[in-house]
Amino acid sequence: LKTLHLLDSATAAVLGFEWLKTALTPVSPYGDRHFERLRPFAPGDEPAAQSRANAIAAIAVELDAARLEAIRAAMRNLPDAQGAIARASMGDVLDDPNFFELLRFCTTIERIDELLVGCTGCVPISNHAVRAVKAALALGSAGEAGFYLADAFDRDLASARECVAREQAELDALRGRESARAAQALGRDEVAGDEFILMRAELRGSLPTGVRVLREAPTYLLCALEYGDAALAALQRRDTAAAAVAEAEERVRTGLTEIVGQQAAGLNAAAAALGEFDVLVCAARFTQHYDCTPATIAKKPILTFDRARFLPLEAELAAAGRRFVPLDVELHDTAVLTGPNMGGKSVCLQTCGFIALCAAFGLPVPAARAQSALFDQVAWLGTGREAQIGGLLSSFAREVLELRAILERAAPRLLILADEFARTTTPHEGRALMVALLMRLRELAACGMLATHLAGIAATAGVRHFAVRGLRGIPRQPPTQGVGEALASLADAMDYTIAEVSGDDVTRADAIALTALLGIDREFVNDAYRALSQ
Amino acid sequence: MRVGIELLDLARATGAGSIFVVGTGRNVGKTTVVRAVYAAAWQSGLRTGLASLNPRHRLWIEPQTLFVTARGALGRTPAVEILELSRVQSPAGALLFARAASAALYELVGPPTASGVRAVTERLAACAEIVIVDGAVDRVAALAGSNGAIVVTGGAASAATIQEAVAEIAALVARLRIPRVDETAPAIELEGALTATRAASLIAAEETRQIVVRDPTQVALSGRAGTTALARLKVRCRRPLRVIATAIASIAAEHSFDPRAFANAVADATGLPAFDVYAGVRAA
Repeated sequence: LKTLHLLDSATAAVLGFEWLKTALTPVSPYGDRHFERLRPFAPGDEPAAQSRANAIAAIAVELDAARLEAIRAAMRNLPDAQGAIARASMGDVLDDPNFFELLRFCTTIERIDELLVGCTGCVPISNHAVRAVKAALALGSAGEAGFYLADAFDRDLASARECVAREQAELDALRGRESARAAQALGRDEVAGDEFILMRAELRGSLPTGVRVLREAPTYLLCALEYGDAALAALQRRDTAAAAVAEAEERVRTGLTEIVGQQAAGLNAAAAALGEFDVLVCAARFTQHYDCTPATIAKKPILTFDRARFLPLEAELAAAGRRFVPLDVELHDTAVLTGPNMGGKSVCLQTCGFIALCAAFGLPVPAARAQSALFDQVAWLGTGREAQIGGLLSSFAREVLELRAILERAAPRLLILADEFARTTTPHEGRALMVALLMRLRELAACGMLATHLAGIAATAGVRHFAVRGLRGIPRQPPTQGVGEALASLADAMDYTIAEVSGDDVTRADAIALTALLGIDREFVNDAYRALSQ
Repeated sequence: MRVGIELLDLARATGAGSIFVVGTGRNVGKTTVVRAVYAAAWQSGLRTGLASLNPRHRLWIEPQTLFVTARGALGRTPAVEILELSRVQSPAGALLFARAASAALYELVGPPTASGVRAVTERLAACAEIVIVDGAVDRVAALAGSNGAIVVTGGAASAATIQEAVAEIAALVARLRIPRVDETAPAIELEGALTATRAASLIAAEETRQIVVRDPTQVALSGRAGTTALARLKVRCRRPLRVIATAIASIAAEHSFDPRAFANAVADATGLPAFDVYAGVRAA
């Protein structure tokens, strides 16, 4: 999954691209390869993006969570057979682990196809090549999942093995007799291993035939048991028989490899289909898990949604026992977003970016309904990306350079999400810069949402103005000064709804209420209220 | 005296599902002990699993024996039954589980980490009645808390004198046999290893509480320092190991010890039976 030019790294970080990538990571090596090649759809690819999102949503509807998990479980431990397919197609004789991989590959595909029975939106992965290779290797099925170059593959192999087993048994018997004779002559239970020690004190008479001294010490002798003539001849016969087995085994491998080589194109097609299906299954699981719907992919620059969620934050809130309040936005070109601190302006921008990102990859989006264009670039400007650029520049200078980079690229279809751009300069200049930015975006026919605390920008630029409703009243003061409790109290009092407004409400004092909630002393807060009213 | 059978019986009598053979150094007879125990297991008709943590270790393996090797170390002939390809990597490639179909010399390759050793041992144990591992002291932690039994080998190759060899074996046995912590007695729980520096400061402070480490391999002391620390401190562990016997190799390239005297001295010093596969003797 590569963003290419859709996002720069700072925007990707703010919009939770890594989170999305992790949520969509496939389980098999085939899926990994397909996933690595996924690119965002670009303007002009709308039908393909729409089709992909619809296909994923259809799979999510047709296959329940248990079936999706069963498919993932089948794919999870699947070895990678593509190396074997490549080697066979280039004339290499495969080894037994390769046949094991290929057999597992073929049987897993058939198992997955069985799990897809009844799914009208799913295309079977198996093909003639998979069936042919599976049939060829089936004689080697050992147990549930193993592979063995069994006797059944070739009559000559079976007889060669019988011969070597016979010769080995004869050799073992001869050596056993030699060993037993020596042990008996030495008065021991056994002579174990190639070398053994004889204590001089226990040696009666001379050494028995076949026992050779390797080293002498004052109290013992280190000895070895030599092969007698009969054993030596048996050893030679065994080695000859083993060589015949090796030859027969290699003949079988060559035959099987030829079949794999002949079917390489079909096997590669099945591997590609398996990889694509793995990725689709992960996306379908994502769709089910996060209750996503396919967005309508629009040809004009537009981004609208109902009850959308920024999933990385939703997951974080859920872990803390809190709930994400879904958002509604209608962005047809450019707009200004205002609202109190902690009111969710940044999250609204992140949600816009996340929905556009999902749509760009042909994924269903986490919203009840959505319409999105495909963008050439989604760019984040302002708060949230400072840490991405170090150096000696002021925050304002950094922002200006980032803006310059965005404008210089001049992506034909741009979505810009600006969070308090120019907040670090004087308010009247900041306002002027924001107005100028909105004018430029209009010239570029770009889509953009600019969040700010500055008043009067939307009216001056002549763009739509959205606002977070904000605090419903003064938040309940928590019993302790714990930040967690303060945030919970704030969340209870905050109306995160975003609505289009006609002007700026300069009488609101949500920031001062927030200051009080976060534990600044009452006298300080009262001074602030007094100053506001003057 | 059938040393392999005696060692196998000793392990099985304690309910051990695996036998881990470790040594005080190189060429101290580890592989010889493994061969003897394996031969005994095979002759007893036990479903046996084999693993080796030594690099590129060749062993004669009988049919139906399960073993672990790496893809790059598996010869083309005779063919074996491939049971599973593991994702654990070794320098010779990914590890695989195989079952021998015919008797032959096979190259064993083991996992490079203690967690890998545990995973491999558990996987083999799932299909075998006894698992025999040609082990390594630095990876014996894989057995901590399990039902595995340990045989410690030592020999002439790693010491100049018989006394030195006996002391080496006794020190390793003492370290591996650190008892389980007494939960009712006061204790100091160590995070990480008990090093010589830590042990020295605890001795200087005349510490009488139990010094608790995760498992015996966390005692990073050897030689005289190890003996002193274990004598002066109450070192205990959470996950003990089970050492059931010792085995000796009295021959080295440069010198050799008297087998009986060596075995008797080791048995006396460790309180465990001492076996000599080469001489077919047992002491204690």
